[in-house]
Amino acid sequence: MQTKYNKFSIKSYLDLSQLIGEYQGSHEENRVFALKNERLLENPKKLLLLWTEKNIFRVRERLESKDFTDYFSSLSNLLAFVFLLIGFFTGLGLLSYSGNSPVNIIYFIFIAMVIPLVSMLFSLFSMLSKGDLLNFFTLFIPLTWIEKIFTFLPSSKKLDTLNEIFSEDLKKWMFIYRLQLFSILFSIGLLFGLLFMVATQDIAFSWSTTLKITPIAFQEILELFAKPWTIFYPNAIPSVDLVELSQYYRLGEHLNPEMVKNADKLGAWWQFLFMITVFYAIFLRLLLAFLSLYFYRKQLDKDFFSIKGVDLLLREFQTPYVSTEAPKVEKHLEIKEENNTQTKETTRRAYSHIVGWNFSSDEIRLVNDSKEIQGLEVNTAGGSHSYYDDQKLTENLRRTILLYVKSWEPPTMDFIDFLELLIENKKIDEIQVYPLGTVGRYYESDRKEIAVWKRKIEGLKSKKVWVIDAE
Amino acid sequence: MQNNKKNLINDYPRFAVVGHPNKGKSSIVSSLALDDSVQIGDTPGTTQVKRGFPLKVDGKVIYELFDTPGFQRARRVLAWLNEHEPTSADKRPDVVRAFVAEHRDDEKFRDEIELLEPILDGAGIIYVVDASKPYGPEYEVEMEILRWCGQPSMALLNLIGNEDYREQWKTALGQYFRMVRTFNPLTATFRDHMDLLESMAQLKEEWTKSIKVAIGILDDLHQQKVEQSIDVIVDTMVKTLSYVYKKEIKGESATKKEEESAKLGYREQIIDTEKALEKNIEFIWNHRSIEKMENILVLDELGLFSKESASIFGLSQNELMITGASAGAITGAGVDLMFAGHTLFLASLIGGVVGGVGAKIGFDNLYSVEILGQNIGKRELSIGPMKNLNFPYILLGRAIYHASIIAKRSHALRDSFELEDEEFFTEQIINGDMRKKLEKVHVQLRKGEEVKKELLEEYKTVILRSFLGLLR
Repeated sequence: MQTKYNKFSIKSYLDLSQLIGEYQGSHEENRVFALKNERLLENPKKLLLLWTEKNIFRVRERLESKDFTDYFSSLSNLLAFVFLLIGFFTGLGLLSYSGNSPVNIIYFIFIAMVIPLVSMLFSLFSMLSKGDLLNFFTLFIPLTWIEKIFTFLPSSKKLDTLNEIFSEDLKKWMFIYRLQLFSILFSIGLLFGLLFMVATQDIAFSWSTTLKITPIAFQEILELFAKPWTIFYPNAIPSVDLVELSQYYRLGEHLNPEMVKNADKLGAWWQFLFMITVFYAIFLRLLLAFLSLYFYRKQLDKDFFSIKGVDLLLREFQTPYVSTEAPKVEKHLEIKEENNTQTKETTRRAYSHIVGWNFSSDEIRLVNDSKEIQGLEVNTAGGSHSYYDDQKLTENLRRTILLYVKSWEPPTMDFIDFLELLIENKKIDEIQVYPLGTVGRYYESDRKEIAVWKRKIEGLKSKKVWVIDAE
Repeated sequence: MQNNKKNLINDYPRFAVVGHPNKGKSSIVSSLALDDSVQIGDTPGTTQVKRGFPLKVDGKVIYELFDTPGFQRARRVLAWLNEHEPTSADKRPDVVRAFVAEHRDDEKFRDEIELLEPILDGAGIIYVVDASKPYGPEYEVEMEILRWCGQPSMALLNLIGNEDYREQWKTALGQYFRMVRTFNPLTATFRDHMDLLESMAQLKEEWTKSIKVAIGILDDLHQQKVEQSIDVIVDTMVKTLSYVYKKEIKGESATKKEEESAKLGYREQIIDTEKALEKNIEFIWNHRSIEKMENILVLDELGLFSKESASIFGLSQNELMITGASAGAITGAGVDLMFAGHTLFLASLIGGVVGGVGAKIGFDNLYSVEILGQNIGKRELSIGPMKNLNFPYILLGRAIYHASIIAKRSHALRDSFELEDEEFFTEQIINGDMRKKLEKVHVQLRKGEEVKKELLEEYKTVILRSFLGLLR
């Protein structure tokens, strides 16, 4: 299926500019899109056009390109018609033959050749200039003033806003290209006027000048003008005879009798005028139009890639999308604050049993000495003991138990299982869990570590178990 | 069917980060996966189920990390395994598999099942211990279970506290694991991260290629993030420095109230733009959960617009004089060039002096307030662009510093960060040579002129240099 993305125009520029202002897509989405259209990865313009086409539905407001093209095409159509009409009536006016005096071809040459050449020169200057110099040259171009008149229309306000989107260079090329098109239409109108008059009237052409130019010199000038078509249309070059015959002097009561005698030959001038218009006013202008179209498209291309956000979009198309996050959302654990209901600040001086969880007997003795605590019996649990060894140990414990634990090791379920066995033992009256810090810190624990132990013990909801927080 | 699943699973390397509860497994995963959404807590059991963190490139998994709950009843698991001791060592993984199959619905061994499952599916083992605490024999049970799994394994020494028992640990761990490495997820740099991946690549020959690819990808990703950060910083600089706040006024001239309200609007916009930049940078570097930072870094009125703050990131009065002079000289040099040097570079000299004086004045006068001419019966109060010479350096210094902190920040960190002392920044972020280049752009933006692409590229290069300097 043929898609619109092959067509690149000012509409594409406006659409992308508006879309990217509202929606950029994520890197992942853009990369997926680019990979789906991998064959276009080497052609970023087409890829961008396709991306615009696929996402343009996301633009919530009316498309600016619609406003622009609506207004611009109606204005352009109107101006095109006006220029065609002006050209046509200029042709009629220049060639209107009253019957009293013949039509002076110099006027026509002036309008069909000199003015277009001067205007083209200004166009060329404008093409080569920028900023203030450009503004200066455009002052000499009538289209500048005609378009200024239209800016007073209320509907042109939107166009003003849109115009701000375009770069100065793009606006310049749009204007120059438009100027060439309208000029061509003017010249076509002029050509139609010429053909119409030639077809409907018997025009006696002449040439007349105050300057002292001999017919031979004048013919040489005309021959020079006609150089471009000498080979393929020699009839459109006025001969010396014709030039001599057509010279007209304003003074004198009557027309030159030779002129009247050869009136049928005077009409031969039209072919020359026709070619003057076709070559100088239309053909050269067409060349300029193509040149300005080329630069306009080049500028549009450049500006298209300069739209804010396009750089990033292209980078996202080209750059592999890397993700490192977990697809599964983690259910966060709610942590309750400890409330010290099962906390004691001091230990007893003596216990029935002192048990070290993951401690060796030697380590327990060292702690006892350091803390000046005595136990009738000292036991070890956890660590390299098996679960069944610990089970057996709990059955033999009585009355008061001091249970040393490593404060930095959080209470595992293995420890809780052991503690629950102690709680279930009816012969045990009280269990005190004492979280100890490292030897290097003289058994002092971190507050955070103690808090973990307190929360865990409180969670057991047993009145038999206490945490020693000997701060 | 089962074989297909196994093939799919084995397509890419997988690593299960396992260990005792609260030894920093989630911190390590968070850091390696560049994901700060992982819950990290002091309370054991914060991680309740295993969670996979695949490194995907265009949807294709290169490797996957698993965060797992800690061992809870390791002794009972090992007891079960010993009871079912097979006749030969190669059958041990099958016994572990049998344990998982038999206890899958047993709530008692939920955590062990969660951590053993990825290993039995082929994941390499990364056993994490806290080497700031002494070694204890209770760990041997866990290491023995992991040995039974028969998967490639390594141990990571994490230093959570201030003490250092690494040597003790290394002796013990060396008996169970092929490789023992130190990795502190809270302080690990990008390079440390890559080095760890290099070590992981050595665990199994078949994984080496994938991990090397991953290293390349992560390197590129890091580079992209650096470039993106510079782009957004430069965009914000251009936007902020050329920003003009306009407000319609009723009378011939603005009332005091109108002027104050416009000034407030201007300042708010500047502050909002900086906030947006920070968010953007945090987004680029995948830090979505930084909450406390705004209190420290985001500007209030006293922040950006006071001399006190200006001195932290901006330039000193003397530096300003020099910068102002060079800015003036840039303008003056333009005049000299126009006259092909026939002014004997007098224009540069005058420009320099005028610029320097301007800088002195500009320190107190932040921006100009103008009443714009009548435009179809409307009068507008216009504020900006900011003319204070120091302003761009304050803004840029803050932006680069913030970006560098975010870029270096481990995803395992959950706390806020603080600004360092002022001398460090003025010297480290923007030196005199950089300032000259930056000032060319600042001058144009201050005038509301469009900056040429080439000049902006040079501006980016200077900022990039400064940024990379801070990342080192």
